[in-house]
Amino acid sequence: MSVEIVSGEEYTVTYNDSTESLTFDGSMRLRTSEEYEPINELMQQALSSTPEGNLLTMDFSSLKFLNSSGINIISRFVIAARKQGTVPLKVVGNQDIYWQQKSLTNLQRLWSSVQIEIQ
Amino acid sequence: MTDLTGTPQIFGTWEALTAVSHHYAAMNLHATHLANHWRRNSLSSDYWAAYAALQIPETVPTGWLRRDDVNYVLSYLLNELFENCAKFSAGPEQTVHYQAWFEDERMVFQFTNHITPAGERPFITLIQELLTSDPDELYFQKLEENAEQEISASGLGYLTLIKDYGIQFGFRFRPINAEITAVDVQAHVSLKEAAF
Repeated sequence: MSVEIVSGEEYTVTYNDSTESLTFDGSMRLRTSEEYEPINELMQQALSSTPEGNLLTMDFSSLKFLNSSGINIISRFVIAARKQGTVPLKVVGNQDIYWQQKSLTNLQRLWSSVQIEIQ
Repeated sequence: MTDLTGTPQIFGTWEALTAVSHHYAAMNLHATHLANHWRRNSLSSDYWAAYAALQIPETVPTGWLRRDDVNYVLSYLLNELFENCAKFSAGPEQTVHYQAWFEDERMVFQFTNHITPAGERPFITLIQELLTSDPDELYFQKLEENAEQEISASGLGYLTLIKDYGIQFGFRFRPINAEITAVDVQAHVSLKEAAF
């Protein structure tokens, strides 16, 4: 079992391999895709570590803000997971955070195997 | 393409608004300050989002956005617009002018930054694509394209705002001189839930 963390001044992304989940906290409004690269690498690592057929959870329920560069990175990851086709995704959102009710369902439009749970 | 007569070019939903004091707020910034200290974008957007959202009553009738929702929408919107000013301002004039009109049923935000005349054409091409395409279709098309090969100015921020929040945009290009074009971006935000 291991827990890996990527963090910046305003955000933390945690990958827990025993729960097969990525958790996003804080506010991710970085400048470029290069600045998002450590987060992208952690997501890729989570994808390749999750056994085939198991569900990888992406929990955004504590992520207050995400800019369009961040939406782009997350969407690219969902497209990469779709292309790999072996690990379905579950996306957890928070009803009280308006952008999540509005924008998280877009991920399911990218790949129908994405389960969306807005709590 | 600079209009040689110096006439502004206007695209999208544009409204001539004047600074009426009881509705109006404004601030001047510098694009390089925003670019050099990136968090100044989110700091400014969060401040103005919270400032604006305070006019929303604690309880609102069905069909109206709640105060927290307005706060989130505006934080996202203003952050995208401040980030654009930080990323795309070019040439000798680096002033960023922020203006806001707070009304009962809507809010309008206007950002002015400056580019070089050579920068007009690619931006106008993007704007015309945004304004004439189906936003839903274009959003997913851009994401798929970006997954193959990254596009630095894809308009994804504008598309999210148009598609997910129903925000209407207007753009005005004002030639100042041979080196400077002022770009005014207007965002019209309804305080009622967008009907999709």
